[in-house]
Amino acid sequence: MGYILGIYRRLISVQIRSQMQYRFPFIVELVVTGFVTISGFVTLAFVLQRFGSIGGWKLGEVAFLYGLVETSFGIMDMIFSGFDPGNFGRQTRLGRFDQLLLRPVNITVQVLGSEFIIRRLGRIAQGFVILILALTMAHINWTFGKILFLPVVIASQIAFFGGLFIIGATISFWTLESIEIVNIFTYGGTEMMSYPMQIYPNWLRDFFSYILPAIFLNYFPALYFLGKPDPLHFPTFAPFLAPVAGFGVLAIALAFWNYGIRHYQSTGT
Amino acid sequence: MRLFIELAKRSFQRQLSYRAATFAGLATNFFFGMLRVAVMVALYQTRGEVNGISLRGAITFTGLTQALIGFLSLFGWYDMMNSIYTGAVASDLLKPMGYFNFWLAQDLGRALAQLVLRGFTMMAAYAVLIGISFPHGIGQWTALTVSLILAWLISFSWRFLVNLSGFWTPDARAIGRFGFVLLYFVTGFLMPLRFFPDWFVRMCDYTPFPHMVNTVVEIYLGVLSGPQVAVVLTKQVVWVVLLVFICQLTLRSGVRRLVIQGG
Amino acid sequence: MTPIIQVSDLHKHFKLSKHHRGFSGAFRNLFTREYRLVRAVDGISFNIEPGELVGYIGPNGAGKSTTIKMLAGLLVPTSGKLVINNHIPWRDRKNYVAGIGAVFGQRTTLWWDLPVIESLDLLQYIYRIPAERFHRNLDEFRQLLDLDAFIDTPVRSLSLGQRMRADLCAAMLHDPVILFLDEPTIGLDVVAKERIRQFIVHINRERSTTILLTTHDLSDVEKLCERVMIIDHGQLLYDGALEILRDRFGGKRKLVVDFATEYEHVDVEGAQVVNREGLRVTYEFERGAMTASNLIGSLSSQYRIHDLEVREPDIEVTVRRIYEERLLEK
Repeated sequence: MGYILGIYRRLISVQIRSQMQYRFPFIVELVVTGFVTISGFVTLAFVLQRFGSIGGWKLGEVAFLYGLVETSFGIMDMIFSGFDPGNFGRQTRLGRFDQLLLRPVNITVQVLGSEFIIRRLGRIAQGFVILILALTMAHINWTFGKILFLPVVIASQIAFFGGLFIIGATISFWTLESIEIVNIFTYGGTEMMSYPMQIYPNWLRDFFSYILPAIFLNYFPALYFLGKPDPLHFPTFAPFLAPVAGFGVLAIALAFWNYGIRHYQSTGT
Repeated sequence: MRLFIELAKRSFQRQLSYRAATFAGLATNFFFGMLRVAVMVALYQTRGEVNGISLRGAITFTGLTQALIGFLSLFGWYDMMNSIYTGAVASDLLKPMGYFNFWLAQDLGRALAQLVLRGFTMMAAYAVLIGISFPHGIGQWTALTVSLILAWLISFSWRFLVNLSGFWTPDARAIGRFGFVLLYFVTGFLMPLRFFPDWFVRMCDYTPFPHMVNTVVEIYLGVLSGPQVAVVLTKQVVWVVLLVFICQLTLRSGVRRLVIQGG
Repeated sequence: MTPIIQVSDLHKHFKLSKHHRGFSGAFRNLFTREYRLVRAVDGISFNIEPGELVGYIGPNGAGKSTTIKMLAGLLVPTSGKLVINNHIPWRDRKNYVAGIGAVFGQRTTLWWDLPVIESLDLLQYIYRIPAERFHRNLDEFRQLLDLDAFIDTPVRSLSLGQRMRADLCAAMLHDPVILFLDEPTIGLDVVAKERIRQFIVHINRERSTTILLTTHDLSDVEKLCERVMIIDHGQLLYDGALEILRDRFGGKRKLVVDFATEYEHVDVEGAQVVNREGLRVTYEFERGAMTASNLIGSLSSQYRIHDLEVREPDIEVTVRRIYEERLLEK
C-alpha cells in the first residue's frame, strides 16, 4: 500500500515540478477562468436583480449551488487530469498507454499520476470564493452536522465528476478520438447542477435522478443546507445520498475502466 | 473576386465533410439549449415580460444563440494563428488578394456551412420541439439578413485581430482564449443584454461586441422599432468599417515585424 | 536448459471494421459493421535460450511490432502458447514486467520534463531496486554510455542519440533478464549507432542478458546477432544462424584490391571485374565457386598488391531476395 501511495506521490510531484517551470500558463489560466467565473456570477446577479428569483431561489442560494459545483469540478479536474476524455484518445494513440503497461505498477494509479494540472487551482480558488460569497448571502443555520457534511458533499461531487471523466476516457480508449458527447455530462452537468433542479422538465430531471444521479449531489444537499422545502417530495434522507451517488458512480466507472483495459490488451490499437 | 468565391466555396465544402463532429456538436448544443430554456421558464414564473422580451422571446433567444455559435465561431477560432506558427503564413501573405481577404473568404465558406448545418438545424429542432417566435414581414427578415452579415463581419474582424497577436508572441493562444471568453459576457450570448442593468448596456455599447449577437437577437425578436433598427444597423456598419480599418493597420504592423524578425 | 522465451503457434488477429465511403456509406456504417480479418501474426513458433542475442527482421507491416508487443505483455495473443521467464506475459503483467526491459526507438520511457537522473531515480523506486545495486548499475552505465554530459538535462532537450542512451540505461537498471529492443538505432548517425551496439554486446556478454532486437538496419544484425529470424506476412520465413543465411542466399561477394602499380589486364580466374578506378579494382565472385583466400592467393601470385578488402554481400540485398523470390518456400 505504501508503495502505491509512494508511487502516486512521486508521479504527482513530477507533474507539479514540470509545470512550475512555466509561470505563464498559470497566469493565463487564472485570468481566463477568473473572467469566466466572475462574468458568470455577475450575469447571474444582474439577471436575478431583474427577475428577483429563479424557481423561488434567490441569488445567494443559486450562488451556493454554483460555487459548490465549481469548486468540486475544479478539484476533480486537477486530480483526474490523467483521465481527461478530451485528451485521452490522443495520448493513447501516441503510445502513452503502452509505456504504462511496461511498468510493474497498477495502471489506474499511473494514469492518475500522469497528469496533475495545477493551474486548475485558479478555477478552484474562484469557485471557493463564490461559495464563500454565497454563504454570506444565503442565510444558513449552521449545525455541527452541516459543517461535517459540507466536505462530504464536495468529496462526493469530486467522485461523481471523476467517474464521468473515467467513463469518458474509457470510451475514447476504444475509439481513439475524443468524444464530444461526454461534454454534455461533464460541462453540461456542471451547468445543469448550478441551478435548482426542480426547474427542469420531468424527463430531464428523471434522467439525472435515476440514471445519472446528479440531483443527489448538489440539489438535495443544498436543500438541506439552505433549509428549503423539497418540492419534489423525495424521501427526507435524499440529501444524504450524496456520497452513495458520487462514490457509486465512481465505482461503476472504475469497473468499466478495468474492463476497458483488459479489452485494450486483447485488441491493441 | 473569382478567387474569393473559389476559396469560400472550397471552405464551405470542407466544413460539410466534417459530418460526424457535426452530429455530436448538435447534440451538445441542443442539450445546453434545453437547460437554458428551463432556466428562462423558471425565471419568467413571476413575470410576463421583461424589458420588452416575453417568455417566448427568451426561449427563442436560447435557440438563436445556440444556432449562432458555429456561424460566429463564438467558442474559439485559432486557424490563423496556427498557420502563423507553422510558417504557412509566409505563402499566405503573398496571395494576390491580400491576407485579410484570404481569410475572409475562407471564413465566409465556413460560416455559411455552419449556418446551414448547425444554425438552421438548431432552429428547426427548436421550432418543432419547443415552439419559438419568428420575425414578421419582409422588412424584419431583410433587416435580420443584413444584420447577420454585418455581425459575421464584426465577428470575423475581431477574430482576425485576436489571431494577429500570433505575429507578436508565441503565446497568442492565451490571448486568444481571453479574446473569446470575453464574448460570452458582453455579446449578449449568456443572457440578452436587455436583462442587464441599463448602465451596463450603455457601457457595452462603446464596444463592437453587442453587435455580434445581441443586435441580431433583438432584430429577430422584433423588440426594436423601425427607426431603432435603422440606428442599430448603422452602428453595425460603423463598427465593421472601424474594425476592418484597425485590422488592416495591425496587419501591416505585424507583417513589418515579421519581416524584420526574419519570418 | 529450458528456453527463457517459448513461443508456440502464436497468432494475433485483428478485426478491422470496413469503413464505407461517401454519404450513403456513412449510413451503412451506422447500421452494419463489416469486418475484415487481419492476421498480423499467423502461427509463429520459436524458442530462445537465456543469453542469446537474436535479430528479428522483416519488412514494414510484417508483424514485427505485433510480436514484440505480445512478448512484452502489451497485447493478448489470439491463440498460441507464450511463456517467457516462467510467466505468461499478458496474464501476469506486473510480475512479468518487473523482470524485463524494453526500449522502443520511437518513444521514450522517461519523463519528458525531468532531468535524466531524476527519471532514473524514479525508476529505482518503481522497480524497487536496492540502493547499492542501483548505484552500482548506474555508475557502470554512466561510464559505458557516456551519460555524464547530459544526465542533468531534461529529456525533452536531448538529441535522439542521447535519448536512446538514456533509455538503454533506464531499461537495464533493474537487471532485467530479457531486453526487448525495438528499432534502437533508428535515425542515429554512425558513431551513435556504434556506441549503442557496443553497449548491447557488452550487456549480452557480461550479464548474459537475453536480447531480442528488431531492426530495419541490417548492419545492426550483422554486427550484433548470430541468430536471426525473418518474418513476413505474419509468418516466420527463417530462423537460424546469420552465417547460414548468408551462405545459402548470400550470392556474390566482392574483393576490392588496391594494386601497387597500374596493370593493363587484371583478369583472374573465378572472379569478374565489376569496377576499375585507377589502381583500385573491384572483383565479384560466387561464394560457392571460390573462397576468398583462394582468390587472394591467385591474385597475389600474378600481381603486386598494395591492399585489399573482402566485402560481404549487403544483408539487405540478401534479405530482399528472400522476400521477393520466396526462397524459403518449400
